[in-house]
Amino acid sequence: MGDTVETVKPVNEADPEFPTPYLGRTVRIVGRGVNVDMNQSPHPKNQRGELGKALFNWYHNTVSRDPLTRVSAPNHFADRRNFIATVINQATQGKVNAKKVPVSDPAAMTRHIKAVARYMGADVVAIARAHPAFMYASTRYVQDGTAEDAYEDSTPEGLVRKFPFVIVATTAWDYDKLQAHRHHIGDAAYHVSQIKGHMVLKALEGYVKELGYTALRGVVTPQAAGVASGVGELGRNGLLINKTFGARIHMPDPILTDLPLVPDEPVDNGVEDFCKICRKCAINCPTNSITFGDKVVSNGVEKYKINWLTCYKLRPYVHDHWGSCLTCATVCPFTKPNVWWRSLAVWALRTCPIPARPLLVRALKAVDDRFWGVVSQKRVRWLDYDSGIKPGERACTVAGCTASHDEHGEAKHESKQMIGDIGYYVPLKENTNRFVKRDV
Amino acid sequence: MVLGRPWRRKNAHDDDPYWDFFINTPPADLVNSVPELIRGAPEGNIFPTKKELHTPEITSSHVKGMARYIGADLVGIATVSSKDAPADAPCPFAVVCAVRADYDPRTSPGVGGQVPVQNGLFVTFVLSAWIRELGFRATVAPAAHAERLAAAAGLGALDPGGRLVTREFGPRVHVADAILTDLPLAPDG
Repeated sequence: MGDTVETVKPVNEADPEFPTPYLGRTVRIVGRGVNVDMNQSPHPKNQRGELGKALFNWYHNTVSRDPLTRVSAPNHFADRRNFIATVINQATQGKVNAKKVPVSDPAAMTRHIKAVARYMGADVVAIARAHPAFMYASTRYVQDGTAEDAYEDSTPEGLVRKFPFVIVATTAWDYDKLQAHRHHIGDAAYHVSQIKGHMVLKALEGYVKELGYTALRGVVTPQAAGVASGVGELGRNGLLINKTFGARIHMPDPILTDLPLVPDEPVDNGVEDFCKICRKCAINCPTNSITFGDKVVSNGVEKYKINWLTCYKLRPYVHDHWGSCLTCATVCPFTKPNVWWRSLAVWALRTCPIPARPLLVRALKAVDDRFWGVVSQKRVRWLDYDSGIKPGERACTVAGCTASHDEHGEAKHESKQMIGDIGYYVPLKENTNRFVKRDV
Repeated sequence: MVLGRPWRRKNAHDDDPYWDFFINTPPADLVNSVPELIRGAPEGNIFPTKKELHTPEITSSHVKGMARYIGADLVGIATVSSKDAPADAPCPFAVVCAVRADYDPRTSPGVGGQVPVQNGLFVTFVLSAWIRELGFRATVAPAAHAERLAAAAGLGALDPGGRLVTREFGPRVHVADAILTDLPLAPDG
């Protein structure tokens, strides 16, 4: 207790108490690293104005034109009281129930807590064994919220000794709406499932406390816990790729707890072999933030490293048209509806011996390119949104309307509301050339 | 019964020793309860610019589509009689959302038993906030008799005890608080 950030011990391979964790084939801890300090991550940097005026104003001083974004996105609201995550994340912390529920069989409790998370609405839930390297350095971090607890002065080692398990629960984005990413429809898929995930995790945290055990938030790096618990593997796009949903899952703040559980293991669904060959996300990324090359060692971890700064810098330029890019998640061949042929493909990849996988990957990639396109272009209409309208064009916004329209977009039906909600799927790489230097 | 009916699905939670605690034990600290959190939240402002709307029929289909997307299992629109509406803010319509409830939240005070209430509050919070962001009045009204409005909106019928029985879920349904709004809608039923 009482140790500060500066004295946090880096991951030590020789440490007998906390041996280097195995994180699957996609991520390997190869050296000493320092714990992630969330104060140095993109959003906090931007909140302090360290990324320049354009981004600062985008974060703090813009109100979205889209009503749904104003109630579901983490900023750009007109009134934050209309944004439910404010209510949930800024709530005071409940007390841990003094009457502990005895746990004789951790396996039964693990099944229970997973059933509870699913019952509350989580799509994916898994347990990771905590490790000091997964803990954040410095203070607690919950986006657009607060998390404080009595253990803020503990070292990562101290935390892990006291709280050995991490509950990773998350929600998946809607597949059909995600097809209209770079549009408010895609934003709806992303943001609505995100606020739902906030609620589920808050409820789960409260329930763990009601069971009589401690639940800490804002302590664990979600990606690390996600890989360690087998929620997914880390892809080239820097996203966790799940067996069922592909890259279309959130990685919200997990729960660190002392509830006796049985941890899950990292998985191998062939993401390692696929990402080596595919590069679909790198080709489609509008800012070229995803590498075409090999893995690199960053902070002692061998993985694909994206350029977060160029990725982040896109946002103020596109703010008028959409909120979240999501291109790398959408084009990922693992991101498909959860249907039998998808399960079959993942099963084939999983059971295929590793040396034979490149061949299978090339076959699956060819199928993916054939049916979903090298660059995906799909028009989605939902409510009064339509992703197929080019900027400057007027369109009929009646969902499902098939009436003929004249050159001014006037339809021959009753509704005269023709001002379209502009789709912005069109500008792929071309329009971003002006502010992103590209080397390929 | 020795010969169980093979098509009868086994209750998935029979072998879970903690499930009863989850469903039936009320939370010791109400701060741990998400329904309490959402219930206590203040209402946000109405966006100053009204969004351009279609006909009431199309707006209704958009509201229902949005409610279903946020998580409502059933949604209907009813006309509000003058005694339900607040006098200072005329809201002629009520949007009523209902969610499936495996356990009756009125008799299951546990965190799990209240999950339908939690889901219902989530839907009504986000949906009413969205309508306010469209530029129209929308208030979640716990005082209005939501089940009567749900029956009026054609979601189902009321049993003698005043509970909603629906075609889709029978009595296993939780009707969330009605949203009173002046968004021009086309009432059902």
